[in-house]
Amino acid sequence: MAVLIRRLEEPDQVELFDCGDEPLNNYLRRHAWANQQKSSIGVTYVAIDEGAPRTVLGYFTLATASVPRDAFPKKYVRGLPPYDLPLILLARLAVDRRFSGKGLGHALISEAFKIALRVADDVGCRGIIADVYRDRIDWYARYGFVALEGGAPSGPQRMFLDIRTVRVALKGSQQA
Amino acid sequence: MALKTKQAKKPPQPPKGSRKSKFQADLAPAEDRMVRGLKQELQLNSNTDFLSDALALFRWAVGERKRGHRIFSEAETGERKELVLPRLERVAPELALPRVEISWTPRELESLADLALREPAPPTETLLRAMRG
Repeated sequence: MAVLIRRLEEPDQVELFDCGDEPLNNYLRRHAWANQQKSSIGVTYVAIDEGAPRTVLGYFTLATASVPRDAFPKKYVRGLPPYDLPLILLARLAVDRRFSGKGLGHALISEAFKIALRVADDVGCRGIIADVYRDRIDWYARYGFVALEGGAPSGPQRMFLDIRTVRVALKGSQQA
Repeated sequence: MALKTKQAKKPPQPPKGSRKSKFQADLAPAEDRMVRGLKQELQLNSNTDFLSDALALFRWAVGERKRGHRIFSEAETGERKELVLPRLERVAPELALPRVEISWTPRELESLADLALREPAPPTETLLRAMRG
């Protein structure tokens, strides 16, 4: 199976996508295209098999965000650059359960990191934020995501990965 | 020069629906010389082989740009040159991501500021593996 990751296109078959989580299925089926094309509130990248190039095997959605400098607690403001803190939001990542366990999640998040680096090079970005289901925290932690304190005790856990760590990883991978 | 697919004397019968098609192009003299020079350099005997190789390279380049990948050549000194072809840029996705608002609790912002002010952690083995692919 030769997997290709590219931006979601309108004719892509999303109706049969099933990752086992209804909100994630529903987002891809009902909202991903409209959010990308009409509302411009998230770009979705899909993994497809080149042999069946319209069937979506997995996806992730990215957007940018920023935290205004004056939103931070005063004791931290002095150490921060005099600008808003730019971030990339990894809003969703899911793999169809028929293809789980084949490394697709790894391929998807790898691509998300590479896109994040390019965006960081073009417009600046300080880190990647993901709101992670609690049973997936360990999976994200393996990539270096760190849980932020202070979120709601139930519901997704917000996690952060410094873009400089990703950049170092890219350099390290090129030297290896 | 016209690029034409040469016909073998007794070509094997292709399966139905996979007939070869002919490709013909009018080239200016300079382009003609370029094609001949490249064929010689690449030791290609036929226009078909030339076109086939050129097509494979072009298809790869289109695929890479479609994924948003940039195409570079790198010298031994590390000097890099980027291939920018206006036609290729038509298939490249726009990298600009839309902007959204995220709501934060004060404690999350404190935690985020604390992490942003720290020296970055070294990459994990899994992250290194992700960037290798």
